[in-house]
Amino acid sequence: MAVTAEDFGPTIALDGARKARGNLTQNRIRWMVLALVLGFGLVGGRLVQLGMVVPDSTIEGQARDVITATRPPILDRNGLEMAVDIRVPSLFAEPRRIIDVEEAVRKLRTVLPDLDETWLRNRLTGEQGFVWVQRELSPAIQDQVMRLGIPGIDFITESKRFYPGMTEASHILGATNIDNQGIAGIEKHMDGENVALLQDLGLARGNALAPVDLSVDMRVQHIMHEQLLDAMTRYQAIAAAGVMMDIYTGEIIALASLPDFNPNEPATALVKDSFNRITSGIFEPGSIFKTVTMAGALDSGLVRITDQFDARFGIRFGRFTIDDFHGKHRILSLPEVYKYSSNIGTIRVMQAMGKDAFRAFLTTVGFDQRVPFELPEMRLPTVPKELSEVGAATASFGHGLSVSPLHMVTAYAAFVNGGNYIAPTLYKRDVAEAEALYRRVLQPSTSESIRYLMRLNALEGSGSQMNKEALGYRVGGKTGTAEKVVDGRYSSSKVTNFFASAFPLDNPRYAMVIMVDEPKAESVTTGTTAGWNAGMVTGRIVQRVAPMLGIAPDFSEILDRNLVPPALR
Amino acid sequence: MIRNLNIILIFTSVFMLAGVYALKFSIENTASERTALIALIDSQEGQLSLVKADEAVLSQPGHIEPIVRRHQVALAIVPVKQEQFGAFGELPMRPVKPNTAAMDSLFESLEAGVDPIDAILELEGIE
Repeated sequence: MAVTAEDFGPTIALDGARKARGNLTQNRIRWMVLALVLGFGLVGGRLVQLGMVVPDSTIEGQARDVITATRPPILDRNGLEMAVDIRVPSLFAEPRRIIDVEEAVRKLRTVLPDLDETWLRNRLTGEQGFVWVQRELSPAIQDQVMRLGIPGIDFITESKRFYPGMTEASHILGATNIDNQGIAGIEKHMDGENVALLQDLGLARGNALAPVDLSVDMRVQHIMHEQLLDAMTRYQAIAAAGVMMDIYTGEIIALASLPDFNPNEPATALVKDSFNRITSGIFEPGSIFKTVTMAGALDSGLVRITDQFDARFGIRFGRFTIDDFHGKHRILSLPEVYKYSSNIGTIRVMQAMGKDAFRAFLTTVGFDQRVPFELPEMRLPTVPKELSEVGAATASFGHGLSVSPLHMVTAYAAFVNGGNYIAPTLYKRDVAEAEALYRRVLQPSTSESIRYLMRLNALEGSGSQMNKEALGYRVGGKTGTAEKVVDGRYSSSKVTNFFASAFPLDNPRYAMVIMVDEPKAESVTTGTTAGWNAGMVTGRIVQRVAPMLGIAPDFSEILDRNLVPPALR
Repeated sequence: MIRNLNIILIFTSVFMLAGVYALKFSIENTASERTALIALIDSQEGQLSLVKADEAVLSQPGHIEPIVRRHQVALAIVPVKQEQFGAFGELPMRPVKPNTAAMDSLFESLEAGVDPIDAILELEGIE
C-alpha cells in the first residue's frame, strides 16, 4: 500500500535549532539597528538644534561691539592729543547666576557705598542674563570687587573718552555720552560723518582708527583760553569769548567761550550760560560792523577813500536823532569816520552806497544764513530781510541786527585776505584746497583799503590800547561796544564789547574776534569801552601767540606807510 | 580572517578614542591659554591707554604753563618781549669793498719813508 501524503494531515515543519537561532539573531540585529538609528538620530537632531541657536551677544539692547567701540583720537594741528580713548572697567551682573542676592548686595555696598540698597536688590533679583551695576569705574575699584568673589558679578572693559586738555577746548570738542556716541561739538559732527557708521559695522575696535587732525593749535588755544579767563576776572565780566582764524585757509586756530564746561564730565555742559558764544550766540555787533559798511561802500565804487562826509549834526529820522558817542561834529574824511567810529559818518557812507545795495552786500558776506561750519551748535542770525531808512542807518553801525562772532571773523577774514569769502573749518585744509572754495566778495583794492583803515585805527584810533600791548606785530582792528537791551531799552551800563582784528597787516595771516560781555572798568582811569577790555585782551593774545605762529615783530614805520593807499599819500 | 580584521578594528578604535580625548584636552588647554592671553593683552592695552592719556595730559600747554609759572622766579624766565627778537637785517652790513684809497696813501707814505705811526708815537712820548 502506497502511503501518500494525502492521507495525512498538514505537515508540521519545525525549524531546526540552527535556523531558529538565526532568525532570533536577525530580529535582534534589526532591533539593534533601529535602536542605533534612533540613538544617532537623537544625537544628530540635538546637534542640528544646537547649530540653530543664535548666541545672545547683546548687552541691554546693544551689541557688545557697540559697547566696546572706540573712537578715533583727535589731534591738534601739531599732533598733540585733544581727545583719546581710555579703557575702563564697567561692573555688570548676571542675576540668574547669583546664588544669594542679599549677600551680593551687602558685599557690593562695602565697595560701592553710593549704590542705593533697594535699587541694587531689585537689579540683582530676577532671571535676566545681563544688567549693568555701575559703568566706568576705576581699576582700583575693580580689584576690590574682584576680591569679594561674588558669583554672577563680573567686569567688562569699555572705552571711555578722555580729554587731556580738560576745559580748554571744550566747545570745540563737545562731549560723548556713556555709550561713546558724540553728543556735542566736533564729536557729534564726526559721528554724523563716518564714525557712527564704522561703529555700526563693528569696525571701530581696538586702536585701528586713524586719528583726526583738527586745525586748532592747542598752544594758541591755551593762551586764548587763559587770557579770556583773565579778562573775566579782571573786568568782572559775565562772559568772554574769542576765535582766531587763518584768513587764507579758513582754518580755526583757536576758539574759546567762557564760561565753559569740562568735557570729561558732560553733565557740566548743562550749566546755564555755558553755551558756545562764538557759534550759537548771536549779538548786536556794534561798531565792528562799520568795517562791513566801509567794505561794501568802497567796493561799490560809489564811495572813495578820499571822500568827505558831513558829521556836523546828528541825523534825524522822524522823532529819533542818531548822534555820535564822542562826536567831532565836523566834516570827516572816510578814514576819520572809521577812526573816530562816527555813527553819523557811517550812515552817510551807507547812504552814499544806497540802502538796497547795502542790504545786498550783507547777503554777499553771508550775514543772513548760518556760517557753513562743523559745530552743530548754531543759531540763525537775525538780519531783517528788508531794511527801512532807519533800519539801514542803525544796521550800518551794527545795531538792529544780530550775528554770531563766527560771522564777524569770517567776514573780517574775507575783508583782509584780498576779498575772498572762505567758510571756516575745524579740520586741516591747505591753501590749494581752500582756493577752490573761494567766493569773491570784494575787489583786492577794497581789501587793501580795509587793511589800511584797520591799521590806522590801531595806530591812532580806538585800537591804540591794543597796539601798545602787541607792538611790532602790525595788528589792526575795530572796537565795538554794543549796548544791551534791558527791559526793552538800550542800557548804557550793560554792554557787550567786541574787538575784531587781523594781523600782521602788512601781510595778513590771521583774523580774530574777541568778545567781553558786560565788563566793568578795571580801574578808575580806564573805561568800559571795548578798547580797554576786548582790545587789551586781543593785544595780550597777539603778543603771546605771534611768535608761536612764526610772526616776527617789526617796528619799521615803512610797513605802516606802505599800507596807506596811493590816493592818500 | 574576519576575526583578525575585527581585532584590528577594535584596537584602532581604542587608539582613536584615546587620541580624540587627548586632542580634546589639549584643545581645551590651548583655549584657556588663549583666553588668559586675551585677558592679559586686554588689561595691558587698558593700562597702555591710561599711560598714553597721562602722557597727553602732561604735554598739554595748560599743564605746563602753571609749572613754568611756579618756577619763574627760580629760573628767571619771563615771556619773550617784542624787543628781544632780532633779524638778519639788523646786523651791520660789511663794507661793500676795501677802502683802497686809504691803503694806497698809506703805502705811498711808507715808500716815501714816512711811517704814520711814528708821528703818533712821538705825540705820546714813546720812542
